Amino acid sequence: MRENLAALWRYRELLLSMVERELRVRYKNSALGFLWSFINPLVTTLVLSFVFGTLIGGGVKNFTAYVLVALLPYTFFQQSVLDSAQSVLGQLSVVKKVYFPREILPLSSILANFVNLLIGMGIFFVLLLIVYLRDPRVVPFQPTTVVLPYLLICSLLMATGIGLAVCALNTFYEDVKYIVSNLMYLLFFLSPITYLSEKVAYSDINQRSGGLVFQLYHLNPVAALSTAYRQCLLAPQGVMEDGVLQPPIPLDAKYYIYIGVFAVTVCIGGYALFNRLKWQFVERP
Amino acid sequence: MSQAVSIHVHDVHKSFITSRSGVASLKTLALWWRKPPKKVLSVLKGVSFDVHRGECLALVGRNGAGKSTLLSLIARIYKPNQGNIQVTGRLAPLLELGAGFHPDLTGVDNILFNAVVLGLSREEARSRMPAIIEFSELGEAVHQPVRTLSSGMLARLGFAIAVHVDADILLVDEVLSVGDYRFEEKCRNRIEEFRAQGGTIVLVSHSARTVQMFADRCIWLENGQVRDEGDPERVIQAYLGQGGV
Repeated sequence: MRENLAALWRYRELLLSMVERELRVRYKNSALGFLWSFINPLVTTLVLSFVFGTLIGGGVKNFTAYVLVALLPYTFFQQSVLDSAQSVLGQLSVVKKVYFPREILPLSSILANFVNLLIGMGIFFVLLLIVYLRDPRVVPFQPTTVVLPYLLICSLLMATGIGLAVCALNTFYEDVKYIVSNLMYLLFFLSPITYLSEKVAYSDINQRSGGLVFQLYHLNPVAALSTAYRQCLLAPQGVMEDGVLQPPIPLDAKYYIYIGVFAVTVCIGGYALFNRLKWQFVERP
Repeated sequence: MSQAVSIHVHDVHKSFITSRSGVASLKTLALWWRKPPKKVLSVLKGVSFDVHRGECLALVGRNGAGKSTLLSLIARIYKPNQGNIQVTGRLAPLLELGAGFHPDLTGVDNILFNAVVLGLSREEARSRMPAIIEFSELGEAVHQPVRTLSSGMLARLGFAIAVHVDADILLVDEVLSVGDYRFEEKCRNRIEEFRAQGGTIVLVSHSARTVQMFADRCIWLENGQVRDEGDPERVIQAYLGQGGV
């Protein structure tokens, strides 16, 4: 592990220029270019909040903001894992010719997506500022925003670990990326993105299980992360259940620790797996 | 290992698994009990040699003798199954036609990127840019996406980058005859210059002319082993006498 990290450090210049290249190539041939990295989640957000907020009706104020704040990290996770799955296969011609630490390929995909996430978050804060300026009585900023860097780091580590593992496996078994993209679809609905996690807490099944379902639900680290992002960036809101407004349910502190422990473990594990397999990439029959 | 040795190859063995259904899909993994026996192709069977600083070593041998595998092992693309390889100094493989070029990026962007892949910092890469462009003779075409360049232009660009990254060791695999005759001449001169400055070269070639022109020493590989080694003139004659080429 130590040796591998040292080699990676020696090649940091390459990693940086790969990230730069990735960001540049992605929107090279489109007129709006870089803007797409934000237009895409914005359109998705508008569609989702229209359907799950206005159409089905959740009774949540400013639902769009709640969707966006959970969707951005989810999109980052999904996109970086899927991009890194293809990263080695897509550049096998270089890998077969020149030596450099192979992890640079998936890492650059992940970091390029992370840059997009940061830009997305930046634009999110600009939107909050606009809301505030239009009506200063509404203070959309939360003091818990200070937790945001921690959550971003957790997101990055989690995507890195899973991205590296998926990349290594997909290089040998190309079925992996199809399995993963289906799992991502499942994860999208199993995480509080199109609804508030309070909906799960007040559901019949959770009430009957004595709160167990709610806890199990948040064992999914992506779900826990989505709830955490929402909680640290936006005002808590209750939900209407059987015509009664139920109070918001804060996420227990232990889940914040759980997210961190999970992210670090997965990152180390994914990197170890990648290092075990990386010398065989070029020898794939 | 003395300072005078650039590449030290000791008792290197390399084999590859060639069974088609090796690890290509999860299905074969799931049906592990029906796995066909692994077919192993042994390419190198105990090869040892040293390349000294400033020397040009040529590898000859028939197709499949293990020349390119050996070159890839030196470049650290494969790991040997047995034995070890030590390389002192920075190494630059001459990239094959456009390997590592991104078709949508301009020549300039690709130069920067490839120079960094070969070990320069981005700043160094930027400062070499004019020299590389001049050497490649691409002119204004260097500002176009490389997908619009001809294969000859790509080869020139690849060569220009590889000889401008301050490598101590060049690995050359059959790519010396790129571009037209005049450019080939220029490449030869550049390689002579590189050697005069103490650079080391390992060369794989099927052309007796190229080997005789550059090599100080020649190794004849056959069936993954060193069949003969020594003066290029003599080894080439022996190799050709055996019905090589």
